[in-house]
Amino acid sequence: MPDRSWWRLQALILTSLLLLLLTIATPAWLRLDGMPPSWPVLWLLPWAVVEGPIAGALAAVLVGLGFDSFYGQGISSIPVLVLLALWWGQFRDARRPLERSTTLGLQALLGSLLLSASFALQLHWRGGSVALAWQVSLAQALLTALLAPVVCSVQVLLWRRLTPDDGR
Amino acid sequence: MAMGRRLSRLLDRSLLLSTGPWLVLLLFFLVVRVSKGAPLADLYAQLSRPFWPGSAQSEWLKESQHLEDQQRIATLEGRLARLEQDQQLRNQAGDWITAPVISRRIEGWWQQLELGAGRVQGIKTGAVVTGPGGVLGRISSVTPSTSRVQLLTDPSSRVGVELQGGKGHGLLFGEGSSRPLVKFLNNDVTVQPGDVVVTSRASSVFPANLIIGVVQSVNTQAGPAPQGLVQLSAPADQIDWVRVR
Repeated sequence: MPDRSWWRLQALILTSLLLLLLTIATPAWLRLDGMPPSWPVLWLLPWAVVEGPIAGALAAVLVGLGFDSFYGQGISSIPVLVLLALWWGQFRDARRPLERSTTLGLQALLGSLLLSASFALQLHWRGGSVALAWQVSLAQALLTALLAPVVCSVQVLLWRRLTPDDGR
Repeated sequence: MAMGRRLSRLLDRSLLLSTGPWLVLLLFFLVVRVSKGAPLADLYAQLSRPFWPGSAQSEWLKESQHLEDQQRIATLEGRLARLEQDQQLRNQAGDWITAPVISRRIEGWWQQLELGAGRVQGIKTGAVVTGPGGVLGRISSVTPSTSRVQLLTDPSSRVGVELQGGKGHGLLFGEGSSRPLVKFLNNDVTVQPGDVVVTSRASSVFPANLIIGVVQSVNTQAGPAPQGLVQLSAPADQIDWVRVR
C-alpha cells in the first residue's frame, strides 16, 4: 500500500495539472466581468499554509513558471507568488492555524490584489497600460475571495491529511 | 465732266501722299491686333535682351527643379521598395491557413487566443491573424500543434495604422479593453468618428491596407496630436475560426 508521501505527490501533480487546465480555459460561468479567479493564488494559499514557507516558495516558483508560460510576454508572476508563499508559510507554525473560511477569503483577496498590482506595475514599466486596471483587479480579487472559502478549505484539509508529518 | 473732275481731285497726288502714312499705321495696328501683339512682344524681347536678369536666378530655378526631381525619385523609390517588400512578404507568407480558436484569454491583463494549428500546419511566429471583418493580431509563439495570438487589444501590442485614404497616420495601442487607442502622429489630421482604420503602408510587420476597425470616438484635445478609440471590425470574443498568413 503506497504511503502518504506517494499520495501527496499524486495529489500535487493532479492539482497542478488541474490548475494549469483551469488557467488555460476558465469556463465563462466562472468569470466575473470577463475575469477568471486568480487560480495560482487559490492553489498556493492552502499549500503554503500547510507546508510552510520553504515548500511554499518552491511551489510558487513552479506554479509561477507554469502560469507565465501561458501568459507571460515579459511579465512574471513569480516574484509576488514567492513573497505570498513566504508570508502564508508563516501561518503553518502559528498558534491559531489559518483555516477559517473568512480568513482564507481575506488572504486570497489580498493575494489576488497584490498579484494584479505587480502585473500593472510591470506593464507600466514596459510602457503599456490597462485602461480598466482597477475594475479588472477588483473583479478578480472579489471572485477569488468568494471561491477561496470553498476551494482553499478543501485543499487545506487534503494537504493536512496527506502530510507525512501529521502532528504539525 | 463734273464727275471726272471730282475723281481726279480724290486721286490727287498730294492727298495720297498725305494720307498714305496713316493708312500704313492703321494696317500695322490691325496686324498687331489680330496677332495679339506678337510682333511687339518679340520686338520687345529682342530690344530688352541686354537688360535681362543675370543667370543666377535661372540657375536657382534649375537647381530647385533638380532638387524637386530628386525628391520625387526618392519618394517613388521608397514607394517601390515598400511595394516590393509587401510583395515579398506575400510571396513568403504563402496561402492563408485556417485555424480554430481553442482557447481565448481576453481578460484585462492579457489578450490572447490559442489556435489549434501550429508549426506542423505551417504557422510561423509573427504571422498575421485575421478573422471575418479584419485583423485580429499576430502570432506570438508557436508549438508543433498550437499557436498563440497576441491580439491588437493586448496592452503590449503596438501597430502602425493609417486612416483609409491616407488621411492620417498613427499608432494603435492595445489597452486591455475591447477598444484599442489610436494616437495620431500629426496634429493636422482630420479624423472623424466612422473613419476606417487600416494597417499602415509604412508597417514592416503587417501587410498594408488590412482593415482593423472604425474610429468610434475622437479626442481632439489630446496632446500633442488627436487620439481616438477604435471599434475593431473582428471581435475576438465571437470568432471561432481565424486565418493565418
